[in-house]
Amino acid sequence: MKNTANLDISIGSDALTLTLRGALNLQSVPEILDRLEHVPRPLPQRIRVDLGGVTRMDDCGALVIMELRRLAEASGVGLEMERTPDHVRELLDFLRLDSPPAPGPIRRIRPDLLTRFGEKTMHVVDQAASHVAFVGETTTTLASLLVRPGRLRLGDTVSYMQRVGVDALPIVGLISFLLGLIMAFMSAVQLQQFGANIYVASLVALAMVRELGPIMTAIIVAGRSGSAFAAEIGTMKVSEEVDALITMGFKPAMFLVAPKVIASVLVVPLLTVFSNLFAIAGGLVIGVGTLNLTLNAYMAQTMSTLSIFDINWGIFKSAIFAVLISTVGCFKGYRVRGGAASVGQATTSAVVTSIFLVILTDSVLAVILRYWRP
Amino acid sequence: MSAPVITVRGLTMGFGDHVVMRDLNFDIHAGEVFVILGGSGCGKSTLLKHMVGLYKPMAGGITVAGMAMDPDDDGAYRRILARIGVMYQGGALFSSMTLGENVALPITEYSGLRGRAVDDLVRLKLRQVGLEGFEHHLPEELSGGMRKRAAIARALALNPEILFLDEPSAGLDPISSAGLDALILRLNRTLGTTFVVVTHELSSILTIASRVVMLDAASKSIIAQGDPHELKEKSAHPFVRQFFNRQPGMEG
Repeated sequence: MKNTANLDISIGSDALTLTLRGALNLQSVPEILDRLEHVPRPLPQRIRVDLGGVTRMDDCGALVIMELRRLAEASGVGLEMERTPDHVRELLDFLRLDSPPAPGPIRRIRPDLLTRFGEKTMHVVDQAASHVAFVGETTTTLASLLVRPGRLRLGDTVSYMQRVGVDALPIVGLISFLLGLIMAFMSAVQLQQFGANIYVASLVALAMVRELGPIMTAIIVAGRSGSAFAAEIGTMKVSEEVDALITMGFKPAMFLVAPKVIASVLVVPLLTVFSNLFAIAGGLVIGVGTLNLTLNAYMAQTMSTLSIFDINWGIFKSAIFAVLISTVGCFKGYRVRGGAASVGQATTSAVVTSIFLVILTDSVLAVILRYWRP
Repeated sequence: MSAPVITVRGLTMGFGDHVVMRDLNFDIHAGEVFVILGGSGCGKSTLLKHMVGLYKPMAGGITVAGMAMDPDDDGAYRRILARIGVMYQGGALFSSMTLGENVALPITEYSGLRGRAVDDLVRLKLRQVGLEGFEHHLPEELSGGMRKRAAIARALALNPEILFLDEPSAGLDPISSAGLDALILRLNRTLGTTFVVVTHELSSILTIASRVVMLDAASKSIIAQGDPHELKEKSAHPFVRQFFNRQPGMEG
């Protein structure tokens, strides 16, 4: 539809006469409003509006009437509407323009700094409280599984083991292999100067098995699965599926959280073992390929460097990381309120929080280990 | 009768190998309130989504406002979209925006209105669906029925020529539902807006519909079309009779 309305403005000594014609709709109204804004001031005593030529008018057209009323009111002059067609009168009645809608922007007004600070504080406190409640509920649920393991949803658990563990194997393997490769390559540059090539094997093995294997695996699992847990539970919250579970008598902690946590605890240590193996293989490629070490020498050095304790310690750590990542993912999902944007925030927060907690826990464990086995 | 604004010719729709409806043919004329009826799960919403270009037909074609519906042809599809408004079953309000911002979005993007005029128009739209004063609320803070009415306000934002409403009155109380019927009839009468409505609400159908088509899942086809009052009185088809007269004891 084209702009088919027009507005004539004539200024007399005692009255401003506006003649509106044609169809007042979304296409024509913006221009009319623009022209009204530029009506020369000061206004005469009266504004006369002739609506006789208005053929069609929709709610956008009503904006013109509202603006005219504002104009008259602001200048303290009278407004007369003449030859108002029935359809216009009917529309104005329908829209109840006699009581105009409240003024003010419809955009959200950003609260001031103090309010936002207060809201944020309340949010943190609230989050801490619900975190405690969540950890408590998850712990009791897992403990009750020790007594009655049959209550675990086995099918779900196996499916999560597949998704968290098996499906992650290629990426964990590739990243670890490259990591071992890079470590060997970089350290070789230094160690070669002292003729200590053989210690490349020790460095790669010890660094991976004790620290980097568990941490790299944890970071990949947090990115792949922690985020997925948060998004899954978050979306279930939004679509009232969690409410449905509760009213059907299922405990969300048992139904949703336990399979994820147990599956993660079972497969993340396994992933770590694979990560270690792939990294050592990466180091081996460099060692044998460029440092003139024999396959046997590299393997023998690796074996003699690692103790069973180192391997167990790495596996133990990754089990703890698995608990952290899966519970944080589920918790963030639980905290979702509202809609899609909230799910996105929960996912981001799940990954960031899990990685932070993983590194923090790793540091604490490193200190404990230092005093336990000096 | 005026020229058809929507034509559906030989439309077969489905997903993969599963055919939902076969060889549908009907026209929707300018200024009609056209209602799509049928049992739950028979493909009414699917038909609606074909008409707005979200799904591709397995066979056959649809024209809207004289243009062939082809979402792959970006230019033509945008020209169609400029003339239609759609309200989805669940409301589909953007959850990160307030009601006011939801309604304002199409107005600021696609009209010449700016500043105070946008705010006024948004409030008028919300007033028409009975939600004045809720412009600062987020969708999550509202009931399902209120969300639905807000979604209608958003679909109305640009006063499109053709409005598609998917179950507009489901979840509304009878008073809001009657108010919605009045709004539909009003827009239809004063602006000549064509409505394509999917609904089950019998009282609403008899009040607003100028013509209906009834889909049937078993035969995957249209089993009746025409004036709803006539169908109610005269149709010989058992499913149609049962639908309009709610006779118990017959298989749907």
